[in-house]
Amino acid sequence: MRVEPFQIEQQETTNAYLLSLSGELDLSVVPQLRAVLEPVVHQTDRELILNLKDLTYIDSTGIGIIVSVLKIRDGLKAPFSVQNIPPSIKRLFDLTGISAYLTEGTENKA
Amino acid sequence: MSEIRLQIPAHADYIDIVRVCLYGLASKLRFSYEAIEDMKVAVSEACNNAVLHGAQPDGTISIVFASDETSLTVRISNEGPPFVYSDAINEASPIHAKEVGDLRVGGLGLYLMQALMDEVDVIAIDHGTEVVLTKYLDAPS
Repeated sequence: MRVEPFQIEQQETTNAYLLSLSGELDLSVVPQLRAVLEPVVHQTDRELILNLKDLTYIDSTGIGIIVSVLKIRDGLKAPFSVQNIPPSIKRLFDLTGISAYLTEGTENKA
Repeated sequence: MSEIRLQIPAHADYIDIVRVCLYGLASKLRFSYEAIEDMKVAVSEACNNAVLHGAQPDGTISIVFASDETSLTVRISNEGPPFVYSDAINEASPIHAKEVGDLRVGGLGLYLMQALMDEVDVIAIDHGTEVVLTKYLDAPS
């Protein structure tokens, strides 16, 4: 097993902020992800998209961040979607109940 | 029952090392890919709780992996104020709310341990807390 360092790649298009997460999202990188989300989560002019294609691991603190983003975007009536959820992570989203509240976007939307 | 012991500083930066050890041992014991992924999350959640709620900043977390032909038991313990699991365990559940705005953000760690392991036990030890997680080799996933 290789430990893939957590990384966030940011892309800004005319209609979306796309954040691509890779590696292991656990308690140790929560401050890093929060810092990147902070300036964009309240922007209502564009859709916020999380691309999880290369995310290899997530724990309850990572899921908690996604829940808090869901709540903020819902409160702002601003679009938010998650795309390319790997099967092992989808299983945790299903178990914790977060799947029911997530909008799954497709690649070409970005 | 053979035991492997690991001790890490009580800091989030070292929890990935616990996952690496767990992965190596569970692979050697021939647990399925899915079972190993489940255990990685459950054991990390116990370590998260130790870092967030229990251990002193300069303290340590002890992890004991005990295995035999049928099971792997991981005991995660830390010194520090006891975490009142008896209250928390009754509230451990998936998130659910009619409105997105009412969803609660935390409290999923203990629920995930219960959902992903075959047995979960939380014990008050001398000046601390121990979480005992067991997975059976032939258990249906």
